[in-house]
Parts: sequence; C-alpha cells; structure tokens
Amino acid sequence: MPKLTLNGKEIEVPAGSTIIEAYKQLDEPIAHYCWHPGLSIAGVCRLCVVEIEGNPRLQIACNTQIQEGMVVNNNSEKVKTAVKWGLDFHLINHPLDCPICDQAGECELQNQYMEFGKYDPEMAEPKVKKRKVVDLGERVVLDTERCILCSRCVRFTNEVSKTNELGIFNRGDRSEVGTFEDKPLNNKYSVNTVDICPVGALTSKDFRFKQRVWYLKNKPSICTGCSTGCNVNVYYNEEGVFRVKPHYNKEVNGYWMCDEGRDIYKHINRKSRMLRGRYKQNGVWCTTQALEVAKKAGQKLSSFKGEEIAVLVTGQYTNEELNSLVDYSVNKLGSKSVFHWKNNENNWQDFDGHLIRGDKNPNTKGLQGVLQKYAVGGEWKELENQLSKFKAVVVAGPENQSVYFDIKEKIESLKSLECVVWFTAGENSNFEKLSDNSYLIPQKTSVEKNGHFTNHQGLTQKVEEVTTILPEALNLEETVSLMLGNSLDLSIRDKQEMGVLKTNYFSQERGSL
Amino acid sequence: MSIVKKPGAIANWYLPGILIGMIFTLKKMIYNLFHKDKMPTLNYPEEKYEYSPRFKGQHVLTVKKDGSIRCTACMLCATNCPAQCIKIVASEHEDPTVEKYPINYEIDVLRCVYCGFCEEACPVDAIRMGPEWQKPGANGFNFTYDIQELAYRPQLKGGIESRLDEKERHDFGI
Amino acid sequence: MEIKLLSEHYDKKEFQSLQGYKKYGGYETLKKAFSMKPEQIISEVKDSGLRGRGGAGFPTGMKWSFLPQNGEPRYLLCNADEGEPGTFKDRLMMERAPHQLIEGMIISAYAINSAKSYIYVRGEYNYPIKVLETALREAYDSGLLGKNILGSGFNHDMDVYRGAGAYICGEETGMISSLEGKKGQPKLKPPFPAIKGYLGKPTIVNNVETLAAVKYIIRDGAKAYRKHGTEKSAGSKLFSISGNVNKPGTYEVALGYPLMDLINNECGGMKNGRKLKAVIPGGSSAPILTAEEVQKTTMDYECLAQMGSMLGSGAIIVMDDSNCMVDLLKVTLHFYHHESCGQCTPCREGTGWIHKIVSNIVSGEGRLQDIDLLEKISKQMMGRTICALSDAAAMPTLGFITKFRDEFEFYVREGRSKVKEVMAHA
Repeated sequence: MPKLTLNGKEIEVPAGSTIIEAYKQLDEPIAHYCWHPGLSIAGVCRLCVVEIEGNPRLQIACNTQIQEGMVVNNNSEKVKTAVKWGLDFHLINHPLDCPICDQAGECELQNQYMEFGKYDPEMAEPKVKKRKVVDLGERVVLDTERCILCSRCVRFTNEVSKTNELGIFNRGDRSEVGTFEDKPLNNKYSVNTVDICPVGALTSKDFRFKQRVWYLKNKPSICTGCSTGCNVNVYYNEEGVFRVKPHYNKEVNGYWMCDEGRDIYKHINRKSRMLRGRYKQNGVWCTTQALEVAKKAGQKLSSFKGEEIAVLVTGQYTNEELNSLVDYSVNKLGSKSVFHWKNNENNWQDFDGHLIRGDKNPNTKGLQGVLQKYAVGGEWKELENQLSKFKAVVVAGPENQSVYFDIKEKIESLKSLECVVWFTAGENSNFEKLSDNSYLIPQKTSVEKNGHFTNHQGLTQKVEEVTTILPEALNLEETVSLMLGNSLDLSIRDKQEMGVLKTNYFSQERGSL
Repeated sequence: MSIVKKPGAIANWYLPGILIGMIFTLKKMIYNLFHKDKMPTLNYPEEKYEYSPRFKGQHVLTVKKDGSIRCTACMLCATNCPAQCIKIVASEHEDPTVEKYPINYEIDVLRCVYCGFCEEACPVDAIRMGPEWQKPGANGFNFTYDIQELAYRPQLKGGIESRLDEKERHDFGI
Repeated sequence: MEIKLLSEHYDKKEFQSLQGYKKYGGYETLKKAFSMKPEQIISEVKDSGLRGRGGAGFPTGMKWSFLPQNGEPRYLLCNADEGEPGTFKDRLMMERAPHQLIEGMIISAYAINSAKSYIYVRGEYNYPIKVLETALREAYDSGLLGKNILGSGFNHDMDVYRGAGAYICGEETGMISSLEGKKGQPKLKPPFPAIKGYLGKPTIVNNVETLAAVKYIIRDGAKAYRKHGTEKSAGSKLFSISGNVNKPGTYEVALGYPLMDLINNECGGMKNGRKLKAVIPGGSSAPILTAEEVQKTTMDYECLAQMGSMLGSGAIIVMDDSNCMVDLLKVTLHFYHHESCGQCTPCREGTGWIHKIVSNIVSGEGRLQDIDLLEKISKQMMGRTICALSDAAAMPTLGFITKFRDEFEFYVREGRSKVKEVMAHA
C-alpha cells in the first residue's frame, strides 16, 4: 500500500488508486464533476486539479495514479485560481435559471460555487442558446442549455446499462447531449442518469416540480420492489415520500437502482393507503381505529378451533413480523396451516443480469426461513383444494399490491369463509366484496417500521423507520400482540407523531442552505 | 421593555409628574382648538391617510407583458417566509421557455407578518408589497388570497407589469 | 541555402509513379533496411537525432523505443491530417512523392515490427488521396506491400484512411479515436498511444515528413543526416511559407537556418517591398514573433523555444505592416472556436469566449478591460486540457496581445483598425 501526503496529511491508499480516490478516502474537499466512482474516467471537467511536488504543471486528480511518496496539495493559490476559472468556464454558458431548475439545492454547480467560487462573473457576451425541455422518453427530461457536458450520463448508458442511447453531438461550445434523432431514452435504468447528472440537465419527469429539494429530508432504507433489495435513500417530508434514490452498497446494488424501484413510494403515500381499520358486521362496514379492529379480530379468531384456521403470508413483511405471525398461528391459534402466497411464481427466477429480479417480494428468503423454522408451509393451491375445511383465514396481504396481479381473484375466492382477517397497507376496492366478519387492519409500510429483510442472496439487511405516513397503521408484531388481547403502549408513538406535526424542522435548517 | 428608574425619594412623588402631563395636554388641546387645520390626527375612517408609495402593504403578484403571471414558482419566497404563510403548487408550462409556473399561489395574510422577505427573495420581481393597507373583512371572510386576488384584483387594473421580462432577457442572451 | 534531401526530385512528374521513383533509386533503401536488424534501425534513427516534424518535436527514436515488449500487435499510423492553418508541406510530399512516404513507412514498420499501418489523410485532400491510393496499388502489385515483402519474410499491409475534416483529428489520440470509428476526440493520457493506442494496442503515430525522413537516415546513415542542422535539431525540414512574400511556397532548408535569410533569399523578400511586421513561425498556434525578434531567429527547435514560440509544423506566415493584428486574431480564434472538440471545459468554453470577445472588439463594442480579460482567460486555458488545442488557441492570443497591445487598445477606443487608418493616410 503506497503512502502519500495530501494537503500535509499522510495517508495510505490501496495500490493502483488515483489521487481523487485518496482525497475521498481522506474526506478532503476536491472539486469535480465528471468523475464518478461507478463510471470510467473521462477527465474532461478539469476541476479536480492538484499540485504535485516536482511537477510544474497542474495535474488532474482523477487520472493520476498514486505513486509512493507523492506530495500532493489542492489548497495552494495556484490550484485555487485554476478551480475558480474552471468553474467560471462551466458557468459562462450555463443559463443560471436556478429558480425554475429542479436541481437547485442539490446542484453541484451551486455547491462548488459556494465552496470554491463566489465571485462576480466576467462574461459580458451573449450565451450560447441550446434546446430546452427536450422530452427523452417516459421518465427523463433533458435541458441541453444547463448541461455542462461532463458525459456522466453518456458513460452510464455505455458502461452500466449498456444501451448506448445517449451521446454528445456537435463540437466545441455547440456540443449537446442527446439521443440519436431524439429517440426515447427508455431503458430500465434511465433515471440513474438523472441521479448522476451534477446539474439540472436531466430531470426526472416523475419528481419534476413536485417539491424543492430543500423541503425534503432523506434517510436510508431498502427498496421493496424486488428480491434484490437495493439500498435506497427515501426523500420525504411531512406531506409524504416524494422520491427514492439509490444508496451505495457494494454487495447489493453498487451505485444504481432500477426505474421500477423508484415507483415504490407511490404505494407508501397516503393516497393509496388504507387510512382506517374496517370490519363488516351484519352486512355493514364499520370504520374504526386499527387497534380496535385488531382486538375484535383476535376475539373472533379465538372462537374457532385451531384446525379451522388458515394463515396466508406474503414475503412483503420483515423477518420479525413474519416470525411473530407464524408463531401466533402455530403456538397460540394452534393452526399449522400456514400457506405461502406467491405471486407470478413462473418468472421468479428471471434476472436481467444487472439488478431487476422476477421475484417481486423483498423478503421471500426470510419468509422461507421462518416457515422452515416452524416446519409449516404450503401453497395457495393447497389451500384452495381444502378451502371447505377452513372457517377462518388470516391473510398478511401484500404491501405492494401492484405486483400481485391475482389479488382480485384471491379476495373473491375467500368470500365463502366465515371470517377473514386481512392485514393490508394499501386500499383495494375489492375488499368491499368480503363477507360478514371480515376485518381489515391497516399496516405500516417498509419505511415506517424497523426490521430486517433477507434478499435473494441470503443477505439480511436492516430497515429503519424513516417517517410516519399514517400514524394509525400498525405493524404485524403490534397487530398480533393486540389480537392476543394485550394493550399497546402508544405513548412513545404519540410523542413521535406529535413531533412530526408540531415542530417545523425546516425552519431550523434554513441557515444551512 | 425596560423602564429606567431614577434613584432617590423625589422620583417616587407621582403628583408633580401628573400635573406636568396635564398642563402639557391642556396646552395642546387649546392650541388645537384654534388651529384645527394643523391637527396631526385624522377622523378615520371618513378621512384616510395617504401612505408613501413605498409602503410595504398588501402583496401584489406582477404579470408579464401578455398579462400572464410572472412568478416562476421557484418557492424562494415560501422558503424565506418566516411566518410560513405562502403556499405554492408548481406545474409544467406548455411553453418550454417558461417551463415552470404556479398553478396555485396562496398567501394566508392573517399569518403574514409583512416583513417583506418574500419581495427580497424573489429573483424575478414577481412579488411586491404594494401601498394598499386596508383589507377589512367580516367573520368567515377568506383571508387566504389566491392568484386571482393577488395579481388581478380590481385595484390593480389588470395587473402590475414586472420589470424583468423573460423574452427580453432571452433575446439579450442572458 | 535551400538543400535538396527529401525534396530532391519533387520537380519531376515521373517521381510520382513507382517506375519513376525506382529510376531515382527508389526502394533501394528498403532492401538495405531489410538487411539490418530492427533494433539497428531504431538505434540509427535515435542517433540521427530526428525529431517529430508534426509540431511537438518529440524525438522519433525515443518514441519507438517506448513500445512494450509484450507480443501484442502494433500499429503504425501516419499522420497526414494536415490541418494547421498555414501548413501545406505534407500535401506536397504526398502529391509529388507518395512512394517516398510508403518506403519510409515500410522501413519504420519493419523497425517497430508492425504488420499494419494506416495513412490518415485529411478529408479535403482529394488529389493527394488519389495519388496515394494509386501508389499503394502499384506497391501491392509489385510485391512491395503484402506478404513476404521483397523476400524478407516481413509482412505488411497499408491503408489510406480519409478524415472528415476535423482539425482535432490531427492530434494523435484524436486521430486514433477517429480511426476506431468514434467521434474524433483526444483520449486521456496516460495511457499513451505507444502503450495503448489504436484498438487498445500499442500504436506509433508519426508525421508524413518524419516517416519520409527515416528513409534518408537509413540510406545515408545517421552521421550523414546529422551533417545538416544543429546539434539538437538535426536534419532538414520543409517549411511552408505563406503571407506577404514574393515567392510563397514550400522550401527545404537545414534546421538552424536564419529566418530572415529564408524570407529574403528563398522567398525573394517582402511583397511590394513592404516592411516586415511579424512572423508566425510554426503554424497558427505558435506565438507570433515581431520584426525585431525575427532578425535573430534561426529555424530550429531550441532558438524558437527560447524566443517563446515554437517550430511546430513549419508553417511560416509572414505579415507586413498592412496587416491588422486584431483582425488576424479574430480569424485565428474563429478557427479554434470552430474546431474545438468540446470535450474539456476550459477549451470548449474558453475558445468560444475569447473568440466572442475579439469579435466584439472588431465590431466596435469592446471594452478596455476585455484586453486584460483575454489575457487572463488565455493563461487559464493553457495546460488545462487533455490535448493541446486549448494551448494552441491561447498562445497566439497571448502573443498577439502582449506584442501588439497598442493596436488592440486603439481598436477598443476608436472602434476601428489602427493599421487601416494609417494605410488610408499613406
């Protein structure tokens, strides 16, 4: 491992790494646009200049390999002027339409300007005009004027998605990023180009103009879109979740995530959620608190014998939750009839070679583990064959209903039963069809609870509570505890909810913008 | 508010102070009786005071030359507002040179503290504080003003034109 | 004194064909080369002190010895993308003596053990391409190219590749990108082409004149070649002289030849007897020399570097006192603005910016601080980019401004050219 001195600090880095990686390792600020750890080196923005002792010319840190005993700095006057001018070159033809630019607030040009620039522009000549608001397919909008031609997106489509849609056309300051003949950029990873775009040239259609980014907070979580279990950052505020971005994890997803996974926030938000608990009695649906419904359901279930009850589980809950439910079924209800509800099982093994998997449940492996532990398990088909045997069924329904195409038929097939207890996070109009003694208990989504998901490769990852969308919703553990007749200590939760409602956390953060 | 107290026993005698005050009041009263035209007070609401045009009163959303709203929905005013009384919903504009505009812009004037930060934060001269200061309303009156009220109320006679014209800027190459 | 080494038979029409070329001793050197070992040829070229004739002046023998010994296929590329404003020597060499180039290339390819070479010719050179293609066919037909050349056991193929008219493809990595079928953009260095070039394989890129000169080094030996020129700048060079002289054209002189002699003797002095004002000694990217500096300039790498300019491709542009420097800079900068590939930010934005500023000055809208700004921008453009195009735009700007600042200031203040003003009164 070669040693070198960066800005007067000694550091040891892995052999073959570049100076910019050493700077990142040391967490020293270094300006850069085109360098991205997940992509090849382009070396075109010329901002990451450093002074190497013994070399009269400034070198770029991204393409200079480390040699033993190098003495490097990027805080000399020479480097600072070079960075200042480098930034100025980027800005002279930039439209500076930050007020209407969605990237404002997380824009690298703004960040670098605040850190390295802060000067009056010297450009007095008219700027080069290019195309604005170019529609690039389903998810991306391009603004060629804002583009600083760092070529990150082009390299992404070349190297990661390998679809080669994007390219840089024309030369000199007339250069423009675009697709050939404006063909759409419709690959399954297209929004990653928006993430890596350091400026507002590529913006996501889905997130465009919804929120200014400084109104959003973010916390890491796990994508529940499929069994890959990509690490994500969830961006939210008190109005709900607004977008999901990938979070680096070398083991699972690297720097990227698929476009499908970015839509998971849609079933998390209030609009598609079951807001209150419901139960049907004497042909009438009654709406009440979730915990009331849970208690009633528990009482009702205790009136059945163990062999009359079936339990259906989906791989959309955390390990802890599934464990408590199966434990409840086996040990408390005395029913060993636990069935695994699998959606689209035929293409579970599908894999696109990068991230997307056919199994659209985040925790299939975890569920299988739990079922094995209690030596139970079966398929929905088995349940259907012996449906007449059962009088009551408990369903841990899917959180992401859009991937369970058979949900309508499944609900209808359970109509004949005496009692249906259904845990669900999302609303579904088909629930109305359920018969008397049906209990619908609102559940938390993955961003609202703590727990663990086990992905396809058997890697168990932790999810932490990000925000509270629906204060009333319960998680499975709480539901089971309520069904057993215990009361729930809500005081802690109440405090948290009050915190969400009362304090205005943005007002404290204003100064840091 | 702090009160400066003079030390000593004499300061505690209140009677002389009251008398001095009474004499002053009487003097002014008699003066005003004979110089009615120089009186500094007004008979509000029959008489109204004319404030300076720079007075920071009711908000105005400016308009462009074509009469459409100037605001670009950048939300800097809403971010800057200490009373958090501005609510904006942005949307995509058909014209790509405009790109973004507010489909909803509301100011809750009862929460507003008239600090003028919104005017200061605005990068495009889209919001101004006008000289109007009387906005009475009875119980149940809606004090949350929308675009219609802020930009096109009758007093503004079709809207105040913004100083910054996007088209001119564009043609100039900014 | 003009010497005739490379250009000895350029005046004969028959020299263009294989038959005519052989009549004057053509392909004899190739036989001699095949009798030598490749290492001997490389050391001979090293000893001759031959330096790249395309612009940078990098020692050719040294470049060849950078090739890695890992058994990978190697490529030899001949850079005939002569795009520098004012340069036209390669065109002449290809038109008049295509076989001279081909022979030099086969010798060089043999020295570096390459089985494939390309001649990358500028797209606008229609006639030279035609001539080269005919010559290649002749060479193939008579067994000078292909399998087992002249019974030596050495195989070599050669192709002409036509550029699409981009100046940047004259830069070696830009040329390699273009040859690979990509957008003609320079690549990041390191890795250098000698390690990882065309198709990721070791590649040597040399100028037309360099490769042609290899023939004469092998024919006469390094010592004989060294007789011409100076200690550090050995050999002869073709200079393309244009501008206000009586006889513009291509002249071959030994390196180290005084510039004034070249103008007065070979070129027949200044046109219309006007006063010499300035000379650009090495193509439009070389900093300009004033008349006083020209007096003490000799045409070799060292002297020009000392004067703060460079030999470049040997394109000498002579200006007399009727030329307005501001107009000239505008034309030059328009070229670089147009030709910047747009990859590196300082070049992409900088060339456009300085061109706009100078255009503003010419249209009478300049400000006095613009001149300082030009200087500042140019300094920041130098040495900041992947290739040297940014420097090539910045260096003449700096040179023009420092040496003819009064003309720029006059232009800004009065909104018209000082020189034209003087000329009108004269």
